Amino acid sequence: MSTDAVIVTGLFKNREETLAAVQTIQEQGWQVKEVHSPIPDHELARALGRKKSKVGWFTLTGGIIGFFSGFLLAVFTATRWNLIVGGKPILSWIPFFVIAFEFTILFAIFGNVLGILTQVGLPDKDYEKNYEPECSGSLYGIEVASAPKDVAGLKDLLRRTGSLKDHKETI
Amino acid sequence: MSPLTFETINTTVLNTLSRPGKLYWCVIALLFGGVVLGASCWAYQILVGVGVAGMNTPVHWGTYLINFVFWVGIAHSGTLISAILFLFNAGWRNPIARAAETMTVFAVCIAGLFPFIHLGRVWLVFYMLPLPNQRTLWPNFQSPLIFDVIAISTYLTVSSLFWYTGLIPDLAIIRDRSQGIRKKIFKALALGWSGKTGQWMNYTRGYLLFAGIATPLVISVHSVVSWDFALSVIPGWHTTIFAPYFVAGAIHSGLAMVLTLSIPLRKILKYEPLITMDVLENIAKTIVFTGIIVGFSYATEVFISWYSRNIIEMETFRWRAFGDYAPEYWIMVVCNTIIPLLFLSKKFRTHVVPLFIISICVNIGMWFERFVIIAGSVAHDFLPNAWGLYRPTFIEGGIMVGAFCLFFFLFLLFVKHLPSVSMTEMKEMIHKTE
Repeated sequence: MSTDAVIVTGLFKNREETLAAVQTIQEQGWQVKEVHSPIPDHELARALGRKKSKVGWFTLTGGIIGFFSGFLLAVFTATRWNLIVGGKPILSWIPFFVIAFEFTILFAIFGNVLGILTQVGLPDKDYEKNYEPECSGSLYGIEVASAPKDVAGLKDLLRRTGSLKDHKETI
Repeated sequence: MSPLTFETINTTVLNTLSRPGKLYWCVIALLFGGVVLGASCWAYQILVGVGVAGMNTPVHWGTYLINFVFWVGIAHSGTLISAILFLFNAGWRNPIARAAETMTVFAVCIAGLFPFIHLGRVWLVFYMLPLPNQRTLWPNFQSPLIFDVIAISTYLTVSSLFWYTGLIPDLAIIRDRSQGIRKKIFKALALGWSGKTGQWMNYTRGYLLFAGIATPLVISVHSVVSWDFALSVIPGWHTTIFAPYFVAGAIHSGLAMVLTLSIPLRKILKYEPLITMDVLENIAKTIVFTGIIVGFSYATEVFISWYSRNIIEMETFRWRAFGDYAPEYWIMVVCNTIIPLLFLSKKFRTHVVPLFIISICVNIGMWFERFVIIAGSVAHDFLPNAWGLYRPTFIEGGIMVGAFCLFFFLFLLFVKHLPSVSMTEMKEMIHKTE
């Protein structure tokens, strides 16, 4: 996309109209850049060709690191002072498993949060660009990329597909 | 009643964040007074020594640890509602999930204070951290007390992150409808959320994983708390039933606290269209279920003590029912297992007054359950010449009152400053039912 391209955002009142509009806009050869919605919608994500989330890999990695960290911490500390307490062996695997379990959960959650932040793209300082605040309430916003000379045609198409209002912004 | 729409949900919830009246600030001031009382009592204990509490031989675990277990229990139903019922796709949890999650975070914070208070010399708390002391001795990771430190810290971290993650889309809604300094604050808190499809896709996956991970955690945490007792040899504590018994009891007390909070919340904040009577009825039905599990656990304990023919165990359970703490024991039995059965009648579970009263009874009963288990067991163990009784002192009472006031103080601040019903989850719920 050239630097003088613009983004036109159309606002739609519900999911069904938004899905139909995305389909029509794409069929007419326009590029739908993004859809803002008040609730999650897998069909919209599919329509935009979004790839499967990778957050789970972060969570899994965190969990594996946590399990071994917990186990190794317990083993390391127990072997620093080889003192038998309560008749239990120095390396007591069952109690250490409890520590490993809790660390697995803790680090899996850290991984999950890191995954959410990196994959969702938060914090996003430029969120206001092309964003209509009504999209967090009840409306759906479709961002469509266009060359400046085609904006009028695109706006006309958006209105025909049910857009309540639209605005354009240069990218 | 008009059907719910995305706009009515926004309006109903955002209206609760309007400027509060004088009565609100009076209640806040009253609760703050209670917090100051508790803090003063704790300060006095630090100054004079832990001897100002009623704990003495043979009962060295008193009100502080009773309150610790009680508040950890209260915390559990928040995770049950927000994580476990989320995984089961139970739509009725949506209107109360946020309040329950918030309750979890505050309850774990308060629970976490009590081991500090119980320590007496609170400045030595770092002994519990995985750091070597001056003799290069590390914490003993074979000890259930250290399991507990790890489990509670993990639970606090996970429940706080889960709560905040769930809030992000709602914080964006408030940001988009605010002005001035309020907008700046919510802009920072919402982290630039704009509801893009890619954001939602990754967010919902992360949220699902949060729920999936929080579920085994919640079960493990109260199991670990129960092992503080069960891994000792004290009669009345040394039993394998403790982990499931504590988990069921925790959910029982937590659900009761959710009712105690939700009923005034829906009335004062005009949440009746969102927190419907069906939601309260479903909580009541779940309380009947958990009450039966708790009752079964009480009966099993008594049966096993008789069936084992172990005279120490038999004496412990005879003394619980007919000894010095018999009133506490029977309050526990009646409030936790018999009174909740009133919810079998539709009349009781569909009217707010009986719902509220019964929820308070369960809260009281569950507090006494912890009293009977913790203080009652060590007061009457193996050696008759070592038997003794425990009664809390004014200082312990003051700290306990302060803890309750702190909980309600934090909760009241929350309901007027952050959305106490998840707007996003409510919208998803009505979208699914359309």
